[in-house]
Amino acid sequence: MTGHDDELERGRRDAGARSGEPISVEAFHGLAAAYALDALDHDERAEFERALAASPELRDEVDAYAESAAHLAEQGEPVAPPPSLKARLMAELDSTPQVAADAAPDVPEAAAPAPPVAPTAPTPSPTPAAGGSDRPVGRAESAARRRWFQRPGAIIGAAAAAVVLIAGAVIGIGWTGPNGWGAQREMAAIAEAPDAQSQTHEVEGGGEVTLVSSAAAGRSGVIVEGLPALDADQTYELWYIDDAGADSAGTFDVAGPETWRVLDGSFTPGVAVGITVEPSGGSPQPTTDPIVFIPT
Amino acid sequence: MTPVLAAALPAAVTSETRPCRSAMLEHVADGNGDPIAPAPRPTPDELLGRVGRGDRAAFGALYDETSPRLFGLIRRLVVDAAQAEEVTQDVYLEIWQTAARFDAAKGSAIAWMFTLAHRRAVDRIRSAQAARDRDLRIGARDLDVPVDTVAEAAETSVEHDRVRGALGDLSDLQRECVALAYYGGLTQREIADRLHVPLGTVKTRLRDGMIRLRTALGVTT
Repeated sequence: MTGHDDELERGRRDAGARSGEPISVEAFHGLAAAYALDALDHDERAEFERALAASPELRDEVDAYAESAAHLAEQGEPVAPPPSLKARLMAELDSTPQVAADAAPDVPEAAAPAPPVAPTAPTPSPTPAAGGSDRPVGRAESAARRRWFQRPGAIIGAAAAAVVLIAGAVIGIGWTGPNGWGAQREMAAIAEAPDAQSQTHEVEGGGEVTLVSSAAAGRSGVIVEGLPALDADQTYELWYIDDAGADSAGTFDVAGPETWRVLDGSFTPGVAVGITVEPSGGSPQPTTDPIVFIPT
Repeated sequence: MTPVLAAALPAAVTSETRPCRSAMLEHVADGNGDPIAPAPRPTPDELLGRVGRGDRAAFGALYDETSPRLFGLIRRLVVDAAQAEEVTQDVYLEIWQTAARFDAAKGSAIAWMFTLAHRRAVDRIRSAQAARDRDLRIGARDLDVPVDTVAEAAETSVEHDRVRGALGDLSDLQRECVALAYYGGLTQREIADRLHVPLGTVKTRLRDGMIRLRTALGVTT
């Protein structure tokens, strides 16, 4: 039943690795122990984590194995790290933002049907962006993310001028966007946040995506330019991607030359944002390769 | 190559119960409320909860309480001391960042922390181009650490013995595979290559070994 025929396993894996063919649920349960022991290679782990994101049962199984694995860790010899390490660590806390507990991706859409009251558009002030504050965490994380999507991209550092431009652009173009005023205000707030970061990536096949994010606000949004409109049965879908896999952050459609959207869910520094083309209505997990992948 | 690490994990528990200072067994630690006993030290679970609310003092205390264990594990995997420090620093910053997401309903704080530490350590050794060199260099040596000797040196606990007892439920072959994965940081494919057995065999040993371990530990929890 659990098919441990070696040839079968190997064939399935090879097929999966080459063509992205899904592995059966049974096979994933068979890999939960190896996953908890970190005995899967990069590709296997990525594939497993996509299944993990979609299966609470698998999550429970992994959690149980993780508890057992921790007991193995307890068997080792404790070694006191040098005191300097703690000093460095404590000094880093100030520049290391914490995520909120409600990091669940099920944040309801901010686009409530608010009446279009004449907005007093917040004028963006040229707050200096907190550029260059390199996040100390996440080399391995971002490596993992790149593996996940296999799509490295250049990071363009935040510049205060760019942030201001973006805030202006948002206020200028937001009215025709799919989002209500609440979301528009939120987008502006993200761009105006003292720690706002922006990075622009080119999209394969034409167009540009700018991600604006604020760790302090725990939110991010994208501004897309020059992306082709899709067929009626397709939509663009946003993803927050971390070690645990990809979480949908909402969908958007392109109506004009420029569109923007605040992402659903919480933004955490280090998380990556990806965009895929999905069937209309969006997918719980990405079904296509991303057209753009933005590590943060 | 001969079976490398039959000795890497203890076959069974032989020692009797010794004084307990386990952070993992809170229910043992706060056993029978002796009124004269000093206030119990906060458990990692309590500390981690406070860390999630931005409590730096709790973070410091959590670090003091757990860093020898995490650093010990990371150094065992990464081997290089400087790199082990870097990984440890990354791990604790990740703990600081994401403590609020820790869900006590899903497991213990220390297990969550070990999971982060093990993952990052393994990522480090695999990302390093020197991974293979390291593997060749240390070979079976590092994996062959006799845990019984370690146990003598380390502060022993009821918890320790309980796990060793549970490990005794695994077959030698299962223990070997589990040890190569967890302490050696090898992938299942690397284990198969090393042991000259089919990948499917390694998968089965890992899975069955972990099921036995989980069951043995679960029974007494």
